[in-house]
Amino acid sequence: MGKYMVKRVLYIVLVFFILSFLLFMIYNMLPIDKAAEFARNDITANKKLDYNERYQYWQEKLGTNGTKFERYLRWIGVYPYADGTYNGILQGDFGDSSKFGKPVSEVIVEPMKNTIFINIFATILALGITIPLGIFCAVKRGSKRDVAVQVGTIVGYSLPTFILAIVFIWVFAILLGWFPVSGMQTAGSLEWSDWDKFWDRMYHMALPLIVMTFTSLGGMTRFVRASMIEALNMDCVRTARAKGLREKIVIYSHAWRNALLPITTLIIGWFLGIFGGSMMVENIFALNGIGKTYYNALNGNDNEVVLALQMFYITIALFGNLLIDLAYGLVDPRVRVNK
Amino acid sequence: MSRNQEKNTAKKNVFVRIGATLWRWTKRMFMGASKELTEDEKLFVEKIESPGMMTVKAFFRRKLAVAALIVLVAMFMLVFIGPEFVPMDLTYTDALQANIAPNYTFLSVPDELAGNVKDISGYANFSIGVSNDKKLYIWGVTENTMTNIDMAQFPEEIADGNVAFAAAGSDHIIAITTGGKVVGWGNKNNGQYGSLKEGDDQFYIEMPKRILTGAVDYTEVQQLICGYQCSAIVMKDGTLYAWGNKNAMLSLEELTTSSKMNTNVQKVAFSNFYALVLLKDGTVTGGNSLSFMGTTAYSSTEGKITDLRAYLRGKKVVDIAATDNCYALVMEDGSIVTFGAARYGENSTPALAAGEKYVSVVAGTRHFVALTEDGTVYAWGHNDGGQTNVSGSKATKVFAGSKQTYLVNEDDEVTEKSGFRGYLFGTDNRGRDILTRIIHGGKMTMTIGAVAVIVSTIIAIIVGCISGYFGGWVDMLLMRITEICSSIPFLPFAMMLSYVIRTKPIDETTRIFIIMCILGLLSWTGLARMIRAQVLAEREKEFVIAAQSMGIKESRIAFKHILPNVASIILVNLTLDFAGCMLTESSLSYLGFGVQQPTPTWGNMLYGANNSIVIQNYWWQWVFPAIFLAIATISINIIGDALRDVLDPKSSQER
Repeated sequence: MGKYMVKRVLYIVLVFFILSFLLFMIYNMLPIDKAAEFARNDITANKKLDYNERYQYWQEKLGTNGTKFERYLRWIGVYPYADGTYNGILQGDFGDSSKFGKPVSEVIVEPMKNTIFINIFATILALGITIPLGIFCAVKRGSKRDVAVQVGTIVGYSLPTFILAIVFIWVFAILLGWFPVSGMQTAGSLEWSDWDKFWDRMYHMALPLIVMTFTSLGGMTRFVRASMIEALNMDCVRTARAKGLREKIVIYSHAWRNALLPITTLIIGWFLGIFGGSMMVENIFALNGIGKTYYNALNGNDNEVVLALQMFYITIALFGNLLIDLAYGLVDPRVRVNK
Repeated sequence: MSRNQEKNTAKKNVFVRIGATLWRWTKRMFMGASKELTEDEKLFVEKIESPGMMTVKAFFRRKLAVAALIVLVAMFMLVFIGPEFVPMDLTYTDALQANIAPNYTFLSVPDELAGNVKDISGYANFSIGVSNDKKLYIWGVTENTMTNIDMAQFPEEIADGNVAFAAAGSDHIIAITTGGKVVGWGNKNNGQYGSLKEGDDQFYIEMPKRILTGAVDYTEVQQLICGYQCSAIVMKDGTLYAWGNKNAMLSLEELTTSSKMNTNVQKVAFSNFYALVLLKDGTVTGGNSLSFMGTTAYSSTEGKITDLRAYLRGKKVVDIAATDNCYALVMEDGSIVTFGAARYGENSTPALAAGEKYVSVVAGTRHFVALTEDGTVYAWGHNDGGQTNVSGSKATKVFAGSKQTYLVNEDDEVTEKSGFRGYLFGTDNRGRDILTRIIHGGKMTMTIGAVAVIVSTIIAIIVGCISGYFGGWVDMLLMRITEICSSIPFLPFAMMLSYVIRTKPIDETTRIFIIMCILGLLSWTGLARMIRAQVLAEREKEFVIAAQSMGIKESRIAFKHILPNVASIILVNLTLDFAGCMLTESSLSYLGFGVQQPTPTWGNMLYGANNSIVIQNYWWQWVFPAIFLAIATISINIIGDALRDVLDPKSSQER
């Protein structure tokens, strides 16, 4: 197990560097020259300064001098800046956001909290609905209710998030007026008590959460149903029934345990995918999450934030794969991961 | 034919045989050949039914799937054949047409006006008609979704008729009652009518006091005309009253102050920015704003005129009209001179046969309609709604709405109306027809989806087959690459790539093609893994060993012997991924990182639909693209699902 873990982590590190190199190179194809911008600003502020001298200064300060490869190494943190310091990802420094004038890690803390909150909540909601529904459909396979759910789920996963979001905004926020159209909190809620603040926040989060849950219903229900059907066809289930066990025990103890393996993969994969996927919801509802931050940074040429968030997404995906493998072993004792 | 049957026929009489043959042919003609097969032959036919045929039959047994297929085919026809019939001008925008709700009544002249037409006037999306018994009628889009003003709500003064004159502007109507009151309704925020708020007179010119508070003698009124946020009344004695928005109608200040322009006036014509004034002595003027100096013009008899002012010297003009950007003058000799920025062929006045003379002209926003002496109508200019299709008809009076032409005979009956009927699906915020954009956008969305899915499938087939068949270090390497690719977060990465190529100086078509490739390059990993797993299972089977022992090349075995066995997976995934790619494209475009405006796709038509104003007030702007996108993806997914059930014996067993 330990050996396997080490191997996997080493592999992840390798892939991380390959992808970071790729991303850095692609993103640096953008004609963004922060040093020139700062140098121009300096000159407008103080006419006596020499542009080339300022440009040089800012290039050295920002580490944008030298070849692209050198810049990449600096960004990673294995190549020194002009003043001999190492200051990159390996040192835990993602640089400064040019838009906020703060270190990237500070910029993304608050959105990260929000995103994780939304995602965990949406995951719990979605699982709470899809697993019972999927099991129900698998058990009552072929019945009218099952067919209805099947058609409903096809519609569900064929609709893009944004259409569903627009429809939900229209119905629940505009026609019925139950929820706010967008935003995170009511204006002037800063002085409220913590409890009120929390409820205000939940009130604003409700519609995005409903939308996120709804978008995941279709695909997940189908998946749960399919793996449950497969499990119900297993010999062990037939044996269990032949033994005269109650149907409930057959379904939840025998079949469900067997269906859990593919479902675990799905849940973890989906939970990781949702970080990218919540970008849509965050943008539509103007929630201050990392998806929205990424979107704004990309549109505002805020390189450091874009790259940091890209690396975050990649890290999540890579560790997610590891997590899936480990979960396999946890859920299914037959699987030995230390091969 | 079986031998047995042959023997039987040989025994029979020749006539009977001929008769039987004829009967058989007739039967074949109407009922098909299979009816005459014997029992064992039927069995024989069923026996040789290929697995492919069986699959097709099984597919068509599913009603839902067949319905989805029909819908999808219909949609394909719409978006791939439709653009041939509904051309689209990518650069077209028209602020006046923005945000119009679905409406198809632009030409619906009310029945009450039949045989009763005195005047028809239209500047934008609604037209008004005045009947001989002095009643006012309105049709077209009367409700403005932005200001919530309904033009069909007439003011009290004219509630029971008494309308002597009425004219429609872009968002206001002015009417003169038989009592001489000048009433206006509609939008008045830009000084279109009524008294101004304090301080507004730097932008707007108020209605003259005489009209605002007093009354005019309606029998003395020569002409009432409305333009874009401005209006004018010409009296028979040659006095001109004009008011409205100075910044919209740049000639307005001159019209009210210059004595050259507001005395002895015969007729006024408003273009989008300037006023053209015909004086009683047959000269035209536009003041300093509309200069004739050295203007190039086109005459219906003499062709190009290099200096209009010199040409007009000593000639008399009898009628004038103005479109948005062009002006037409009917000369005394019966020719028509047009000038101005003619983008839509406004200056290609039809030349008349010898002896014919133009006598009057009216104008829509982009077309002119002229009458000749003997009552023949000629129309030219923009024909996007068929408004110039009336050429050659006879009429005594012609009227023009913005994109409509109405011909009226001597009995005051509308004999022919032609032109733009309305927007079935409404218009977007730049005044573009949503139906047209849906048709063209669908073509783009489906093309992008198809190309992306083909790119991804080809990569997946190559990687999956090679990796599964050869195994070893090739497999190891390819699977690691697949893993790396699959750990790239899709949406953020696609956004970044799209953003990077957006800054590169490449043309739109190449950019769209690159987006297709990006989508394809990022979505092949799942299918590649699936194909690899299937190939791994297939390559252990006997037929592969047989092929190997026959000495067939390995690559041939991989792609020719094993691949067909994986075809069902590929087909199913092709279908499902097609829907997936369409969705991804629209998500990207919705976020503004896919195909850029003005090129439409179903995704970027929804761009901007995330604020409550659009969602609520302009519902047609998102409902229709969303419905089309949803129906397309739902039917593709239903088809894919049915295909999977049909092709995969295991899953159909389970059902």
